[in-house]
Amino acid sequence: MKRLAVTSMAVLALLATSCTAGGESSEDAAPAPAAVKPAGAVTFWHFFVDREAAAIESVVKDFESKNPGVTVKVVAGQDDDKMRQAISAGKGPDVGLSYSTDIVGNFCQTGAWRNLAPYIGRDKVDLNALLPIVRSYTEYNGVRCAMPMLADTYGLYYNKKLLAEAGFTAPPKTLSELETMTQKITRRKADDIQVAGYVPLMDYYENTPAHLAPSWGARFLNDEGKSNISVDPAWKDMLSWQKQFIDALGYPALNKFNASKGEEFSAANDFHRDRVAMMIDGEYRLAFLQAQAPNVEFGTAPFPVPDDKQDRYGAGYVTGNIMGISRGAKNPEAAWALIKYLTLDTGALVKLANGLKNVPTTDAALKSPDLEVDANFQTFIDILQHPKSETSPSTPNGAVYQNTFQEWIGAWASGKVPDLTAGLQQIDKDINAALQLGTAP
Amino acid sequence: MTQTLTKRAAPAGRPAPARLARAKRRRHRLLVLGLMAPAIIGFTVFFIYPLFATVYFSFTRYDLITPPQFVGLRNYRFFFFEDPNSWQSVRNTLWFVVFMVPARVAFALLIAQMLTRIRRGGGLFRTVFYLPALTPPVAATIAFAFLFNPGTGVVNRFLAWLGVEGPLWLNDPQWSKPVLLALGVWGLGDILIIFLAALLDVPAEQYEAASIDGANAIQQFRYITLPTISPVLLFAGIIGVIQMLCYFTQAVVASSLASGQATVGGGQGMYLGYPDGSTLTYPLWMYQMGFKNFFLGYAAAMAVLLFVVAMAFTAFLLRRSEAFVHGAEGAR
Amino acid sequence: MTSAGVRLDRGGQLARRQARRDRTLAFIGQHALAIALALAFLLPFWLILATAVMSDNQALTGDLWPTSWHWDNFVEVWRRAPMLTWLRNSLIYSVLATAFMLVSSIPAAYALARLQWRGRNLALLAVLTMMMLPPQVTIVPMYVVWADYNLTGTLWPLIIPNLFGDAFSIFLLRQFLLTIPQEYADAARVDGCGELQVMVRVILPMARPAIAAAAIFMFFLTWNDYYGPLLYTSENASNWTLAIGLASFRDLNHVQWNLTMAATLLVMLPVIVVFFLAQKAFVHGVTLTGVKG
Repeated sequence: MKRLAVTSMAVLALLATSCTAGGESSEDAAPAPAAVKPAGAVTFWHFFVDREAAAIESVVKDFESKNPGVTVKVVAGQDDDKMRQAISAGKGPDVGLSYSTDIVGNFCQTGAWRNLAPYIGRDKVDLNALLPIVRSYTEYNGVRCAMPMLADTYGLYYNKKLLAEAGFTAPPKTLSELETMTQKITRRKADDIQVAGYVPLMDYYENTPAHLAPSWGARFLNDEGKSNISVDPAWKDMLSWQKQFIDALGYPALNKFNASKGEEFSAANDFHRDRVAMMIDGEYRLAFLQAQAPNVEFGTAPFPVPDDKQDRYGAGYVTGNIMGISRGAKNPEAAWALIKYLTLDTGALVKLANGLKNVPTTDAALKSPDLEVDANFQTFIDILQHPKSETSPSTPNGAVYQNTFQEWIGAWASGKVPDLTAGLQQIDKDINAALQLGTAP
Repeated sequence: MTQTLTKRAAPAGRPAPARLARAKRRRHRLLVLGLMAPAIIGFTVFFIYPLFATVYFSFTRYDLITPPQFVGLRNYRFFFFEDPNSWQSVRNTLWFVVFMVPARVAFALLIAQMLTRIRRGGGLFRTVFYLPALTPPVAATIAFAFLFNPGTGVVNRFLAWLGVEGPLWLNDPQWSKPVLLALGVWGLGDILIIFLAALLDVPAEQYEAASIDGANAIQQFRYITLPTISPVLLFAGIIGVIQMLCYFTQAVVASSLASGQATVGGGQGMYLGYPDGSTLTYPLWMYQMGFKNFFLGYAAAMAVLLFVVAMAFTAFLLRRSEAFVHGAEGAR
Repeated sequence: MTSAGVRLDRGGQLARRQARRDRTLAFIGQHALAIALALAFLLPFWLILATAVMSDNQALTGDLWPTSWHWDNFVEVWRRAPMLTWLRNSLIYSVLATAFMLVSSIPAAYALARLQWRGRNLALLAVLTMMMLPPQVTIVPMYVVWADYNLTGTLWPLIIPNLFGDAFSIFLLRQFLLTIPQEYADAARVDGCGELQVMVRVILPMARPAIAAAAIFMFFLTWNDYYGPLLYTSENASNWTLAIGLASFRDLNHVQWNLTMAATLLVMLPVIVVFFLAQKAFVHGVTLTGVKG
């Protein structure tokens, strides 16, 4: 028995010494004083697969031909979790691309992605080339650890045929117009909705509080980073409006309709099948419609705004892909060169935008004659450039506040929350407690 | 092979039989150590170490990137008092433990009993009932989700044909867990095989003697079959409870699919537990908090609590079933 | 049937056919419940099969019958995806994990079942406890350790732990070994065998069915293991197993279910074959694992 104990202790000791629980706070080397010609191998992780991965590959090849001596090792299909794990173990990729802005807060604050300020300063990069809203979601607390690469903006898609059949020729600009049109367009059979004008439920495809917030100018967090939901009157307005709209259409019928909606990114999407007339979605929906349902006659427009907030019409929700250099990257110079190329080079951005059908994020790229734009796509470009467009605030703990809110709204929509004000205050408490959980002691 | 000296073989008068006995004992101990060594190392490295590490993390704030910082009982306090989802996840997992385990065991027993009576084509039936257990869990969950789709699924279409309006299944908080229960029962093949074997091993004479005595089928089942196979039932029960405490994959896939955001496998986390958190199991919430919201210290605390519960359950069962643990040789 | 002098026995043939039909009907009647249940069990499986041959647009619309039969989906899966690489990796993982498990768990099970030693009960409790630890608990600390040894990106973090015993298998094997009567071992000892010889020459051969059962359980478990390989090999596509590959038939947002299901069937094929071949030993082995007490 004693021998057993001794053996076990020895093994444990060995492990304890070899285990470094993500604690390597070794300082990353500062950039070289003058711009260095990039050379060597660079690892680049992104999350695209298949056709979209091919688009990235071709742009990467352009970079390689412009920078002989650099080879880029591209790994597709890597998401935030993988990157985070790899970085924690000291094996993060030189350049990582994330599909959402959720990690910006955490990566900037913890240094998982390096602070790019030294590089930006040294190479005299003009950040004004980037649109202001895009600049805002690539930094946190004054630390810029990411650069943007293509954005997603959200607006209203409307089915021209269904609208015409109910006597409408133009999309709604205000919420009351939306309600009127919805009531007229919605078709029922007995108690069930066959065709919906619009579905106000908050879990119907992209109909989420974050995406709708810009129409009201509602803010999730206040300037101190605390939950703002019960304080900002815009939320109460939005939720009250939503509830009365749901009740006007009938919650059971809507719920049933929602339960049998087609899969979002398949050919069975409700909008592709003329099952819903109006819905909010991102610009990427254009590519899906083109590929899967080319016969749908549709138009795009900014999402309607409350009657008393007409000045906000034209704004929308903006988010995008972001890239950064991992802590402990082996080849930061080449990594920085690649990032600069993918985020600022007009040719590269236009090629990517055309290939992925997302919105490019620099002024120059937006104005480029090579950018493939039609009337529908233009809507989304305008939304990106609208001064009142909004994005989600970053926190060090990802999207925890959005998830908490989302869960609660489900209960609210079904009528399980009797007192809106009290409910919102409880939500604030929950969110603040969750944010508190992640703060340093 | 050299002759090993045993006690019997030691000739009388030879010096120090005690020394021989000691040598024998040492050899014996070496043998045991040799046989157990890999398992001991495994236990230390792959169990004790992660367990200690997890306990340590549970008292820290840790997001995988910055080094862990000690925060005392903050994570535990959050779990018990401030987390709006913690108790719901406990309730959901408990639901699965209380309903899924007996359902699987009962159905497996029923089907196994049926299979013992089939002379011809037994192999075919065995395969049909075992096949679902071989199906990758993700594919199986997807198949079920689409069978139970409220609008287009076969189940509701069949019910409509009968004139009954089917519920919203995976989109209805009341029905989402029962659908998952059906999925679990569908996959009962693994315990079915064990039960089948155990049933086949009950001596036939006992049944014959009982029918001569006038016992009917139900009485035979109750007084002969059940007691004889009870250790197997217990085994299946324990394994089942452990599985339910770790129930994750099917809940993730089902809730992602039902909410309309279908990805395969490690799905996007926005609608975990859809609808209304009814499928938010304990491991699911642990995963969401730990890996999606970066509260790894908190996830570690949840893991410690889960382990404590599992340990308590084990200890309780061990006390209740000496025979099961020590087998036919009895408690030694 | 003799060839010479066979007359067409019309009456006899008819009678036999009638008897067969009667027997079939009787069979169906007696086993109506079993048949009904079997059909219910097959239904989801049929959905997987049907989806595998549907077009992308029809897949998982809820239709049970394909409007067009796309057998080429299987070809497409094979063409598009490096199935052979995945197959190789899955085989490496499952075969090695199983082999290592046997090497480490059989001796431990033997020691726990058939030898007397101080601390045996404690060790047994430890084994049982290991089964109670949810895998999510061990992920974070272990990942860091493997990363330190530069083994992430490979399957080794999944295979190596089996070299040090698997709790479930140890327990299963132990239960069986308990049921082998002492007389065999005693007889061997009288013949002059040492303990190791008793183990290797006498007891273990008798334990063959249980060993087969434990091996098969392990094989199936590792074959369908998704989260393990996902955690450790997802950044290195050349090490993907079939389970991970299954999840890759998609664009960023759109999963191609028909191909995914076709691939699922291809992945299940080896497992079904193994099950068929091992069925006898399997059922027999579980019979004798002594879990029945």
